[in-house]
Amino acid sequence: MFNQIVLAGASEGLALGNMLFVLVAFLVLMLLLKKYAWGPVVKMMEKRAEKVAHDLDTAQDAREEAEKMAAQRAEQLQSARSEANGIVADAKEAANQQRDKIVEDAQKDAQAAKDQAGAQIAQERSEAMADIKSDVAELSVTIAQKIIQKELKLDDQKALIDAYIEGLGKK
Amino acid sequence: MEKTATFSIAGLTFDWNVVISTLVVVAVVFLLALWTSRKLVLKPAGKSKQNMLEWVIDFTNNIVDGSLPNKTGNGLKFFIFSLFLFIFVGNQLGVAFTVAVNGDTFLNSPTANPLVTMTLALIAISIAHFLGVEKQGFKNYFKSVYLSPFSVLLPLNLIEQFTSFLTLGLRLFGNIFAGEMVLSLLWQLAQSAGVVSFVPAFVLTIIWQAFSLFIGAIQAFVFVTLTTVYVSEKTE
Repeated sequence: MFNQIVLAGASEGLALGNMLFVLVAFLVLMLLLKKYAWGPVVKMMEKRAEKVAHDLDTAQDAREEAEKMAAQRAEQLQSARSEANGIVADAKEAANQQRDKIVEDAQKDAQAAKDQAGAQIAQERSEAMADIKSDVAELSVTIAQKIIQKELKLDDQKALIDAYIEGLGKK
Repeated sequence: MEKTATFSIAGLTFDWNVVISTLVVVAVVFLLALWTSRKLVLKPAGKSKQNMLEWVIDFTNNIVDGSLPNKTGNGLKFFIFSLFLFIFVGNQLGVAFTVAVNGDTFLNSPTANPLVTMTLALIAISIAHFLGVEKQGFKNYFKSVYLSPFSVLLPLNLIEQFTSFLTLGLRLFGNIFAGEMVLSLLWQLAQSAGVVSFVPAFVLTIIWQAFSLFIGAIQAFVFVTLTTVYVSEKTE
């Protein structure tokens, strides 16, 4: 093979022809590769890199957006909670007031009813007492008439009975 | 190996061996690239052929970025990719096939021929010098390549430039040629004493082929790496 290198000097045709052939063949190969393999593949790889970069950017934006919304949600939740607490507190206070009022009213009503009932009882008792007084008077007169068969004057009789009842009342 | 059939066109003599082997390599590289780059998708599946091609592209791009992480390197990436594929496939061709008729070799590794490797080296070195002039201007290029660190070293620098060209081509040629030489010797051994020599020669051939595959890959890698290094030397 080294002969060939030595020969290359002597018979320039052989070396030059082969070298030209290799050169041209390599150039043709480069052209073909560029057109059919390298070009499309590199283009695709660039497109992919671009897409990845774009997707990363989008993801970043989306995450920021989500964080912002989460913060907003938390804030809203907080305000809603405090509002709810206020409402509950108000309602409790109102309920307490109402309860107190109802109890007070009820006590007042009960007191009034009690007073009225007491007055009525007293009145009825005095009425009943008066009825009983007259009834007993008549009854005792009748009984006395029947028993002693003796006519007494109504007024004397009454005085006698009154004295008797007076005596009962004192007992 | 020693003898080759030739033919002449328009005063130029061509080697059948070189012509056929080079054409086969060009065809194989192109068909491989064509096959792996059909139906490209944005998101290829796990074991698709597109991934294979993209892996090779990434591999050669990384080689370029290793010594030329700049615009010059970006412009060089496609050349390095083609060069790598051509040399790699060329190196492996002779490991699997060597066709000789009546002692004339017609098909083997084109890179086992010094003319082919020197042509490739010439292309690489020419590009390096061309880019050197283009990026720095002829004056700065001349100063940084031939007159540094001292102008007294001009003769040494001239020799260095020439030897870097020579070694780039001869390293590749030497490795692949030696590999093929051993394979042909093993073939002679296999033929020498019937089955007694055929079986051990067969085993040795398998082992040597495995080693040659490795050497072929390494040499392709070394060739393109050195090319990028030479380019970076001239352009900075």
